[in-house]
Amino acid sequence: MSERTIIGGGGGFWGDQTMAPLKLLESADLDYLTMDYLSEVTMSIMHKQLNRNSEAGWATDLKDWLKVGGIGLLRSKNVKLVTNAGGVNPHSCASMVLAAASDIGWNDCKVALVIGDDLGEKLSEIAASGAQFTHMYDPSLGSLLDHSSSVVSANAYLGAGAIGRSLERGADIVITGRVADASLIVGCMLHSNGWAKRAEESNLPLCGPIANWGDGNLKESLDIIAGWTVAGHLIECGAQVSGGNSTDWDDIGPLTDVGYPIAEIFPDGRCIITKPNKSQGAVTSRIVAEQLLYEIGDPCAYITPDCIVDFSCVLLEEIDKDRVLVNGAKGIEQTETLKLSASHKDGWMVVSELVAPGPNARKRAENTDFILRSRLKHLKGIEIHSEYLGDEALIPPALRSNTLNPSEIVIRWVATSMDKSELMEFSRAIAPLVLTGPAGICGYSARSRPREILRFFPILLDRNLVESQVHIKMMHSWRHDLELRMPWSSDLLFIPLENMAHSEKNMRRSRFAERILRRLDKAKEFDTIYE
Amino acid sequence: MNNISIKLGDLVHGRSGDKGDNINIALICHKREWLPLLESVITPELLAKWFKGWSEGPFEVFPVHGVGAVNCLIHNVLQGGGTVSKRIDAQGKSLGQIILNANININPSLAKKVGFDPSLL
Repeated sequence: MSERTIIGGGGGFWGDQTMAPLKLLESADLDYLTMDYLSEVTMSIMHKQLNRNSEAGWATDLKDWLKVGGIGLLRSKNVKLVTNAGGVNPHSCASMVLAAASDIGWNDCKVALVIGDDLGEKLSEIAASGAQFTHMYDPSLGSLLDHSSSVVSANAYLGAGAIGRSLERGADIVITGRVADASLIVGCMLHSNGWAKRAEESNLPLCGPIANWGDGNLKESLDIIAGWTVAGHLIECGAQVSGGNSTDWDDIGPLTDVGYPIAEIFPDGRCIITKPNKSQGAVTSRIVAEQLLYEIGDPCAYITPDCIVDFSCVLLEEIDKDRVLVNGAKGIEQTETLKLSASHKDGWMVVSELVAPGPNARKRAENTDFILRSRLKHLKGIEIHSEYLGDEALIPPALRSNTLNPSEIVIRWVATSMDKSELMEFSRAIAPLVLTGPAGICGYSARSRPREILRFFPILLDRNLVESQVHIKMMHSWRHDLELRMPWSSDLLFIPLENMAHSEKNMRRSRFAERILRRLDKAKEFDTIYE
Repeated sequence: MNNISIKLGDLVHGRSGDKGDNINIALICHKREWLPLLESVITPELLAKWFKGWSEGPFEVFPVHGVGAVNCLIHNVLQGGGTVSKRIDAQGKSLGQIILNANININPSLAKKVGFDPSLL
């Protein structure tokens, strides 16, 4: 087989095992490590964090593993890191990465920021150009602009193009905001297969269409992008393709040290999904098939910013233990729209639980629920949802047996209201049920605190409106180092050295300046390329 | 011949997840050649029956011939989506396993034709 690119998938979301990417770096020889930290809800949560703290709003788990050896491994093993950890504050994320690089003396580390997905500030400007912002699944839900005062975040899903170009411009690490999960992997392939180089040399638009960057005809290029996208889709949820969350969980041995996935991807679009030797879990056709169809709609039209993929004819073949060959994806040209993932505030929510035990546990649970609701009858804006965990709560109503009769049930309430104070009153009404309800009710913890509801609002937007905003910003650890340690250095750089030697203080400064200029000389080549 | 009742899990393995207010449940045949049998059972009408009370649809079933599966797409089932759903499984992640316990009726002659032998269960 022809030359392949080895790409690791070190995590499935912000909240996955923090140190998994470190283990993957240690136990495999990767060309690229990709880390998908974002989900539909993550962007809104990050925006809330950013509002509280101007340095927050990115996936801080990245820092945790980079600082305990990750950054050193990337450097020593010459692995490029591509991640959407930047969230809604890629600048702060990159500053951390550069500081981590400086800490280990990696002074020529180059970090690229892919910017332009965050349209939160530009909504009215874009609306002025005639864009609609209608809910993409349910037009009856109206336009995001109907909620403009409560919009928390609005980020477009970007594709692979700018990632490929960042790598081509020499980035060791690429930090992005809302790039589509699979596009992280496609971006690496654009670089390793020379597509990004061709685009750079011909000065093609930054974001694509990337199908125009291939060396074959358009149809071949689209099928290749489709294959790379399938590879990306398979490894972007971390261990879900290597044994986690598998129907076969009980047959594949322990999952304690489950290996995170590796895609060996070919220039022609095929790939082999595998995992590090000696790791636990499994990569089988059954497991890969489950992940292939994970979170998709029409399998003939899986839409990413890069292309539309037809999964229906993808074939899986176990070619060795824990090695599955994936082949046969078909590509269709990219859509004219991009998905915008927005969210707006929509009231408050609080969750509380108690446990009902013993004979007739269900009856006790329902009676407890009845008492609670009766006591809160005067709250006019509250909606209370009750579930009986352990008594078929997860099963759709029509499929329940209604004959379990368990001897313990978790009563779970979720209350919502536009008025936070109603939910505070709801929370205060839970504990008393232990003393004033049916016998044996237990499991009370502290009063739950209401959290703000963020309603997800997906929109389709003209691709050109988004892609015209996208740009790459290159940052270098040497410069970051200077600005961090010597805030005055940027002024100093513009003062001729001979003018500085007037005082002892300035003499000291001038020695600094000489050192700085020596480093600048070294760094000059970057400047000519990037500035 | 009368239809035979089996568990859906005898025929398939599964995985589910969310997309906005929709969930998808992938049902993958233990043997690829059983797909026609699966397709004969899993219909939008059956999904409507199963999910009554949780969703009024639409319900869609897409065949995936390459891996011998159907992808079930259930719309408007998460009370507005993963961030606002009040159910414990706000993202529908359990349903791909829950549903394996459902009883389905299969046509014995079609079962025989595709090589599915219920007596081996």
